[in-house]
Formats: sequence, structure tokens, C-alpha cells
Amino acid sequence: MTDPPRQLTLGQWDLRYRQLEQAGMTQPSYGGPLSRHLAEGDLRLARLRYDDSPAALRLWNFLLTEEDRLHEARSHGKKIVGTMKDLGTIPVMADAIDNVVAFYPDGAWWSPCVMENSTGLLEIADSMGIDESFCPVRAMIGAFVTGHHFPIPDLLTCSVGATCDDFSAIAQRLEDLGHPILWWEVPHRRHPDQGEASIQLPGGCLAPKTQVDLVRSELLRVKGAIEDLAGEPLDEPRLRSGIAKANRIRSCLAELRDLAYTARPCPMPALEMLIAEMLAIHFCSDREECLGVLEALLAEVKARVRAGVGLLDADAARVFWVNPVADLRVMNLLEACGARVCGTEYLFTHALDLISEDRAPMDALAATALADPMVGSADDRAMRIEREIRRFGAEAVVVSRIPGASHCVWEGWVIQDVLGDRCPVPVLEIEVPSVADAVTPELRTRLEAIVETVHQRRTR
Amino acid sequence: MICAGIDAGSRTIKVVLLDRDTGRVVGQGLSNQGVEQSALVTSLFEAVLSEQGLTRRDVERIVATGYGRNAVEFADTTVTEITCHAKGVRHLVPEAATVIDIGGEDSKLIRLDARGRVRDFAMNDRCAAGTGRFLEVVAARLGTPIEAFGATASQSRTPAPISRMCVVFAETEIIGLLAAHTPLPDIAAGVQAAIAARVAGMAGRKVDAPVVFTGGVARVSGMKESLESALGQPVAVAPDPQMTGALGAALAAAEMAGA
Repeated sequence: MTDPPRQLTLGQWDLRYRQLEQAGMTQPSYGGPLSRHLAEGDLRLARLRYDDSPAALRLWNFLLTEEDRLHEARSHGKKIVGTMKDLGTIPVMADAIDNVVAFYPDGAWWSPCVMENSTGLLEIADSMGIDESFCPVRAMIGAFVTGHHFPIPDLLTCSVGATCDDFSAIAQRLEDLGHPILWWEVPHRRHPDQGEASIQLPGGCLAPKTQVDLVRSELLRVKGAIEDLAGEPLDEPRLRSGIAKANRIRSCLAELRDLAYTARPCPMPALEMLIAEMLAIHFCSDREECLGVLEALLAEVKARVRAGVGLLDADAARVFWVNPVADLRVMNLLEACGARVCGTEYLFTHALDLISEDRAPMDALAATALADPMVGSADDRAMRIEREIRRFGAEAVVVSRIPGASHCVWEGWVIQDVLGDRCPVPVLEIEVPSVADAVTPELRTRLEAIVETVHQRRTR
Repeated sequence: MICAGIDAGSRTIKVVLLDRDTGRVVGQGLSNQGVEQSALVTSLFEAVLSEQGLTRRDVERIVATGYGRNAVEFADTTVTEITCHAKGVRHLVPEAATVIDIGGEDSKLIRLDARGRVRDFAMNDRCAAGTGRFLEVVAARLGTPIEAFGATASQSRTPAPISRMCVVFAETEIIGLLAAHTPLPDIAAGVQAAIAARVAGMAGRKVDAPVVFTGGVARVSGMKESLESALGQPVAVAPDPQMTGALGAALAAAEMAGA
């Protein structure tokens, strides 16, 4: 990194790509100019602005070639596990066996945004009775029907119980369509009764030991199914190795988040950070390469911090962002309005926390699964957000609702109330649909207003 | 010197001219919004200046706000309506702690700190329920001019229960109420209560007094009382409530000019 970083349009990236290529940039096998993904139908890419580093290029190319990787895995005879609604537990197990890859069919929820509804995935879900009263993850049904986005998995797993009512309904519809699902239950996490045996979970919550035991027994069923699929045992050394590798990714991401969200000026845009954080859930079906991608991004951020360079105004409002956006463009919009992201809670914080390497592997994985913010109370979630706001020095919170997502309807209010009582920063709730173009003026007004509010509060 | 605030709202455009030295409003005007937003703003601005014997050269700074603020090409800068309503209300009612603004296409609740700056705010989401548009739709359906809507509602003894969640559904409900021969005043009062309930819902459990009501809907008689009922506390209508955002923009312009 020699020049100050910039955010580029897709067209500008093409020019930069040629320059970097002439300068001898090395790329992985999935490398290439970003605009080729546009030509392949990812229409939305033309509307985004990207970090200009080769590390960011690698990140985007890694994300946008996931389908190719899965098809390649299938062609090489690897077994494919679709891990639905688990956000970080089953892939740790599945990837511990060489001839198994795990992926995240839920990720299809971004297809309507990235491809601007050109694939008709939501319409297919509509036609099957899963309409817009459900979360956009319903696009996954369309992806299974068309078979264009990923190969049909050899094994489908889905957590159920306290995780998400919407997803449960969507996955049940999928099962009706002839895709058998191995359901595993996660109970609603409760606080232990006085004197009740309890377990400390990653992230700091306590849960009754009986609940952790229940989740472990459920995960053992999944483990058995993966072993049957692979024809190989998922023994303790493999599990320990899998956990250690997952923790390398989580550690790398933790360091990246700490630097990116605290350094001034901002060393990495919100959009690339969102994509990077998502990798912790599923590794884009290649754990080793995932680590390489994140390490390259971290190296870039470290170099920028050392050089004292970054993007966005140095006095950009420091915003903590809650929930992932259905339209990626909104992360660009936030920055265009004069803010930067300083901390996030994308509903999968348990995939960011280190998995205990001191416990028996299945106990450790069960504790991680039970630390899922979605299975606990909104109060627990709000209190973790409060701690993170203080840690990252955020000046405002944006709670981004996902249309149709049942948990979003009431959680925003709880988070707002808890923060209002304990951590008086302004909290803004917005709703971001899959393609937010029509509501961009309204979103812009709200985001500009929160930036103005932050600046007014600084003058106190 | 003169500072100008322009509130390019979704239904109307408002202009306020402020004498920065005296802090007095020296001119103001209002016109309907339309497709040619930029031309309409320019025309109104020139007309207000002309009425006061002023030209653009007399104007030191212009701040645009409102939904159409980016269409005001001759503005020096833009500020959101949240900040502008807060500034306008602080100027008019210094002790105000909460601002409720109900405009043509949105409604907002703004919490102010002791110094009148925005502490927090909430806005309605992608739905005309809780906005002036709701009133317009229902007035048209009832065949009542919007100007007479409040008077009609005031004759109600038993406001009809109407959904506060969606204008489209509410309109369907109103068709049903009309078919059931529900008196028009009861429907009108029911609509006012639905808007007030929607706004109160947005406010959550904390609404600090005093509460000041701004925006075009504040001019509709009966809305203040409906809000008071929904919030369970007194509500004061800002003087000339439709102009509050433009006033706030003019005050912002004056602050910037003086900085």
C-alpha cells in the first residue's frame, strides 16, 4: 500500500485492476476483475463502491465465486452439507473432514439484492406461499427450485426451536419440496435458577448445564449424520483440529474488527467489513482460503493504520450497526452521509467468539451454539451491544430491520429501551429491503439526521 | 443580513427569511409541491424576496431542508428536517422537550436535550399511516374537503375504530364503515385517533413534556386533542406550525453565517 486508500466504482476498479496486474499483482485461482461478476448477472455490483486494495479485491472475488467452488467440490466427489440457520457451529464440524464441505444456503438471501431480483428467487418463494411477510431469506427456496445458485446439498441441517420462526417455516416448506432436513433443536436460552448448575458461554452469558447438555445431544445427532455421509469418523482429534482452525479465523477477525472499528481515520469501509465478518459463519466453503483472505485484509488494515491513512472524514460520526442489511448499498450510503461503522452486531456474535479449546469439543460447540444472540433474550443481546458500544466508542446506534424478519419487529424497541436506560446514545431504527433504491431518500434523511445529531452532541 | 430557510416538503414548499441581526422573521411564503420541484422552489423564493423588496444579493446564506432539499440547487447547504424542526421549535418554545411533526408523507418524534439540541428521534417507516397523506386519502373518500376535516371530526360522539397500521387497509375499513352507515364525523374522528395512536406508538414509553406539535397536520382542528389523548399529556401546537421546518432552516443558516 503506497497511495492513500479510496473507494472505487466498478468502472474505476477495472482501471485499477489493469494497473495492478501490470505491476505484477498475484492473485488466487478465483481472481480476476470485479466487473466480470457483473457480466455474470450480479447487476447490483455496478451500484456499489469498493475499497481499492488488492486484499479487498480478493475478498470480493472469494465471496462471489462461492457457487463455482461448490460446483467444483461436487465435481471432485466431495460431500456437500448445507448448514441452515446455524451461523457457525456445523461448518466447524463438517470442515474437520477432508472430503466434506459445508456452505450456508441462507446466504441466498443476498441474491435478490446482488442480482437485483433478476433471478426471480423471491417470486418463486411467493408462488409457494412464502411471501413478503417472511424474511428475505425465503429467496433460498427459489435457489433450491432453480438449482442455479448452488448444487443441491447431500445433507441439509437446520437448527430449530428458539432460532427463528420465519426460517423454520421457510425450511419446512423446503422439506415439503423434497429436500429432507436434519433438524436439531436449540432451546430458548434462559438464565440459570439460583443454585442450578450452569455453564459460562462464549460472550459472557451463563446458561443452565441442562440446556448445554441438550444442545450437545442434538449436535451429536448432526455429527453422526456427517460421519455417515463422509464414511469417516469425526473423532476428537479431528474435532479439536477443526475448532483450532475455526479459532484462527475468529482470532484474525477479532483483530481486524478491533483495528478497523477503532483506528482513526477509518482504515476499511463498512461494506468490506460486513463481508469479512460474514466469513466467520461459513468460511465460503474453504476454511484455509478464508483465513488467507482475512489475513490479507488484516495486513492491509495494519499497513494503513501504521501509515496513518484511511477513508472517510476523520470526524465521521461513529455508528454501531445492528443486524445485517438486505441491500449492501446501504453500507455505502451510511458513509456517504458522513458516518463510519464502529462496531457491529450482525446477529451471529457467537460465530465471532472463540470456541473453548479447553472443554471437550462437543461441549464447546454446544456452548457456542447456545451463545447465539437469536436464541437468548433481546435484553441479553442489548447488553452485549451496550458493552460493544463502550468498547468501540460508538456515538450512535443504527438498528437495521429486515423486512418480514419476525425477530426484528420487537427487538429494535427492546434494544432502544435498554440502551436508552444504560447507554445514552441516539438509536435509529431503519428498515432496509432487498433492493432499497425506492426508499433511499428516506434512508438518507434518517442517516444524515443521526450524523447531525452526533455532531450536535459533540459540542456539549 | 438576511438568511433564508427553505423547507421543500413532500406536499408543500415553505420559505422563511430571517434577519440575522434582529432574529426576526421578515418574510415567508408557501406553495404546493409539484413535479417541477426546482422551478417551484425558485419561483416561491423569488416571490417571497420580491414581496419584501429584496433580491438574492441581500441573502447571506440559504439552507434547504425537507424531502426535496437536494432539489434546491441554489441552497448553500442542506440540513435534515429533524434538525430544522428542533431548531425551529427551540426558537419558538424554548422549554420544549419533545417535538412531534406530522407532515404530508411522514411523521417524526424528536427528543430534545436541555439546550434544545436533538437527543434522539424516531420516524415512521415506509407507510402513510400517521401522516397527512392519510388524512387526504380519507377526506377524498368521504368527500370532505381537507380544510373541513377537523370540523367534521369534532361532531363525533363515538369515533369509529380504524386500523392504524396501513392506509390501504384503513381505506378498505372506511368503505366498510360507510356501507354500514357509520356517521362521517365518527369516521373522521376515528382516522384522527388512528394517526395519533400511530405517532404515540412511535414515541414508545418515554415522552418528555412539554410536547410541541409541528407540521401541516397540526393545523387540522382536533388533531392536537387526539394526540393529547393518545400520549396522555398536554400538547402545544407551535405558532404557524407548517413553517417550523423552514424557520429552523433559516436559523441554521444564520448560525452558519455567524460562525
